Amino acid sequence: MRRTPLIPLATILLAAWFFQIGVKPPKAAPADFQLNAFAQLPVKFGGRKKPVDTLARNLLGVLSGRQSVRTADGETVSAVQWLLDNVSGRHEAFDYQVFRIESLDVLSSLGLEERQRFRYSYREILPGLNKLDAAARAAFGKEDRQRDLYDKQIMKVANKIYLYQNVMASFEDPSSIPPEQLLVAAQRYMRLEKNSIPLVIPPTSKNARWRPLMSTLLASHPAMGDLMHQHAIAVEPLATHMGVMLGAYHAGNPELFNSELKEFGALLQSENPEAFNKGSFEVFYNRLGAFMKSAQLYLLVFVLSCFGWLFRKDGLLAAARTLMICAFIPHTFALIARVFLSGYPPVTNLYSSAIFIGWASVAAGIIIELGFRKRAAGIGNLVGGVAGFTTLLIAHFLAGDGDTLEQMRAVLDTRFWLATHVITITLGYMATFVSGIIGIFYVFGGLFTRRLDAATEDGMFRMMYGATCFALLLSFVGTVLGGLWADDSWGRFWGWDPKENGALLIVLWNAIILHARWGRMVLHRGFAIMAVFGNIVTAWSWFGVNQLSVGLHSYGFTDSASFWLMVFVLSQIAICAAGLVPPRRWKSGCNT
Amino acid sequence: MNKAVDFFLSLKLTVVLLGLSMVLILAGTLAQVDKGIWTVMDQYFRCFIAWIDLYVFFPRSMDIPRVKIPFPGGFLIGTLLVINLRTVHWASFKITVKGGRKAAGLIFLMLGVLVTIGVMFGWGTAPVAATENDAFWRVFLRLGRGTLAAAVLYVACVFLYRQRAGMVLLHSGILFLLIGEFITALLAVEATMTIREGETVNYLDRSQQMELSFTDTSHPDHDTVTVIPQRRLKEGVFLQPEELPFDIKVHRYMVNSNRPQPLQSISEEFRNRYPAYEGFGSRLYVAEQPEVSGTAGARNAPAVDIEVFDRTTGNSLGRYILSLWFYPNFVNRSWDMPTRIQVAGQEYTAYFRFRREYATSRSGNPFSVTLLDFVHERYEGTQVPKNFSSQILLVNEGDNVERELRIWMNNPLRYARRTFYQSGYLPDDSGTILQVVRNDTWMVPYLACMIVFVGMAAQFIQSFGRHLRRDA
Repeated sequence: MRRTPLIPLATILLAAWFFQIGVKPPKAAPADFQLNAFAQLPVKFGGRKKPVDTLARNLLGVLSGRQSVRTADGETVSAVQWLLDNVSGRHEAFDYQVFRIESLDVLSSLGLEERQRFRYSYREILPGLNKLDAAARAAFGKEDRQRDLYDKQIMKVANKIYLYQNVMASFEDPSSIPPEQLLVAAQRYMRLEKNSIPLVIPPTSKNARWRPLMSTLLASHPAMGDLMHQHAIAVEPLATHMGVMLGAYHAGNPELFNSELKEFGALLQSENPEAFNKGSFEVFYNRLGAFMKSAQLYLLVFVLSCFGWLFRKDGLLAAARTLMICAFIPHTFALIARVFLSGYPPVTNLYSSAIFIGWASVAAGIIIELGFRKRAAGIGNLVGGVAGFTTLLIAHFLAGDGDTLEQMRAVLDTRFWLATHVITITLGYMATFVSGIIGIFYVFGGLFTRRLDAATEDGMFRMMYGATCFALLLSFVGTVLGGLWADDSWGRFWGWDPKENGALLIVLWNAIILHARWGRMVLHRGFAIMAVFGNIVTAWSWFGVNQLSVGLHSYGFTDSASFWLMVFVLSQIAICAAGLVPPRRWKSGCNT
Repeated sequence: MNKAVDFFLSLKLTVVLLGLSMVLILAGTLAQVDKGIWTVMDQYFRCFIAWIDLYVFFPRSMDIPRVKIPFPGGFLIGTLLVINLRTVHWASFKITVKGGRKAAGLIFLMLGVLVTIGVMFGWGTAPVAATENDAFWRVFLRLGRGTLAAAVLYVACVFLYRQRAGMVLLHSGILFLLIGEFITALLAVEATMTIREGETVNYLDRSQQMELSFTDTSHPDHDTVTVIPQRRLKEGVFLQPEELPFDIKVHRYMVNSNRPQPLQSISEEFRNRYPAYEGFGSRLYVAEQPEVSGTAGARNAPAVDIEVFDRTTGNSLGRYILSLWFYPNFVNRSWDMPTRIQVAGQEYTAYFRFRREYATSRSGNPFSVTLLDFVHERYEGTQVPKNFSSQILLVNEGDNVERELRIWMNNPLRYARRTFYQSGYLPDDSGTILQVVRNDTWMVPYLACMIVFVGMAAQFIQSFGRHLRRDA
């Protein structure tokens, strides 16, 4: 059969078209509010400078689990517009249904009905707010051990409300406050500044700190001079522009909004051009949304490869391979973009570990496909597709906690260890998963289909064997490096800490698999079953250990992460059990 | 005898032992939900027989009978693994080479051992190792030294064992790591140093052990301190220390006690059962508490309930409760509550405190640490800490050391066989808490890591090469 370049070409074009969706912002008419320009303004929140776009998306993500709002009439409102509607104090802002409250107990205490998607507007919550506040205070006052499930759910909801309130309050315009109430406002603002709030006024030549809008505006209030016994008040033109801008938005005056925005931008450009650094790139990164799109393509890769592998359709496999590489490129780009934006090595938290594991698994899949094509025949596609899809999906659900590019706590802030220990150990996870996934295909393929002939079977075993060797090497070195970090930073190489133990379990399990093989205690099929069990060990040390310290005392599987972990563990146990079915019952026969 | 050898020769034993250690580690991890890390370590890992609580494997909300299952402990599994490893090596990795090759191998082996020992004891490193440079270079340098030792040993193994060189080397590395950790478990000492800004401190708080101290402050020039170590503070014991003019009866030793609360705030029922104490116990309520869990990150506050008797008359001079909560370094200098006891017109100040160790260098000369400045940086607009650092003055007159140094996150000071780490700070950033660890085998993991890495990488590369050749 002559190979036509048509199929790969079509695949590439399809992927390229898919990725460009939504990247280009809808063009705003000159007479409309210039939301795209506003989205690029810098703001410091959670210790990191970011564009307003990121702030709006993260905030909305924490509150509702989505990055845009759908109104009652089915219209989609962007995160930036939602934020602007809120901070400018527009009336309809309180009607956006963005607060996700899943707990029925909390809902009933707020006097709300259960509804699909569990999202409620601020106006709906408002009547029950005092009650919620009282319950939350009681819950926060308790020690962790004494808190019950209701307390924890109340705290979760209250934290969302407080975050929302703090952010909104930090954009207040105090210019209309009468002079006799200024002192009270000033005290309130000082309390507010102790919390984490967005700082939208960047450092200028006169003031080296990032400041929130409300305090900066308050300082330039005409009556503040008398209050502070100063002769001159500190007028910050940036804050004035921002204040007028929000006022114009509130009044529905695009012309004034746009001109003030322009003034603000020009002034900031002359005062502190560095404040804009990386801003528009980050907006582009946000709009690209590469991880979610890659995840969708990986799913397609997986489905195509399943058919291609089962029915030995080489054309389908080749197309899937091309598609996988096409999805891998933006995935890689976004990974590098994160490194560029945060200045940290790629893995800093659970979210980025999921993305990195996915990336490395797909890379492993590509290497298997390109390097061992004769034996692999699509296994690399299968591994890359399923691992890429699931890890990116996990990352998507983990992103609901806020800024995924957060700053590191003091203890963890050493790029050297992040780049060595964390990367090695994460690659160790990846290699164990790759081996385990091949194990799953081995069991399924052998048990339910006739696809697992002698050559395929041998090839799959070799891949598992190689992956396990790599997994042992990487997880051992990674674990020891972790110990060395602990030794170097607080003088204890090994402290039997849960996370360390989790990593050690992976090392031990990989060692057991290999020794069992060398001692001829297992053959190919046993090896595959053991590799599947490796998935459980790895998932436990990746996620289970964290669950230990968070949801620890109640243990209740209400926490969705523990629930899904449990589901995963049970599914893997089921697969192991299926693998133990005697070979004569296997559809592929006894060649195992 | 042959049966025993066969038993230890089997790879099945290896797999079983590794499997058992997985179960043990899992149990030890789950147990940390409700127990302190040190208790877990003693109950599961640093023992020959571990008694596993059955309930650790289940959600705590379920009502599981409090059954303890005997299980091979960390030391037992470790020992068996070492024997297993040694037997397998002795039986199947015989040195078959002869003549010049063998001689060369042995020479390299000696050289490798020499390098390893040199790296371990830090030959050619500075006595006061302040780390003004990045973690990057520091650790790379150490790993580099480890790699040097590993490379020489690998050459020796290639001479002696040919194709199996990597296998022998990597298992030797694991053996080395296991033995090193065993020694650490037995010998490493952890302590803390709490210093206020401007203050000079010449002692360490050994935070794993307690002592009862009585200070006689009557002499104008010096104080006389008498200490009773924790191991003697057993329940019901009657102590007659020679240095003191009174006897002490220990009523109760509490592993953990509550934060003292005003006695009035306690319910009638508990107050009636509460002993009539002198001192702080007359106003404050201190009672036994369950041990704190490791994952919560809290610390136990032991307390001791004693009664003092006049030695000549045998009359009781009052019953006292002494809690670690009264010791300023435990509460990060938030308060200081010395218990004052009057005996025969003399006043004694009593504390139940961490065991105090006076700081001495390798030559036996005392040294002291002065905190010049403490800096606590946060990320702008948040309470998230960015960095802590302590500017200190290290003085050892006997050894002629007087140096100003900086200790900060991830950048410890190594001096007098101890390592000083930035670990915490006092309220309002008024002072620093340094973690001080003495561990003479701290270089072993660096060495072992590189030895195993070199061995494993060599072995895998070799077997992949073989696979590829067979495929071709």
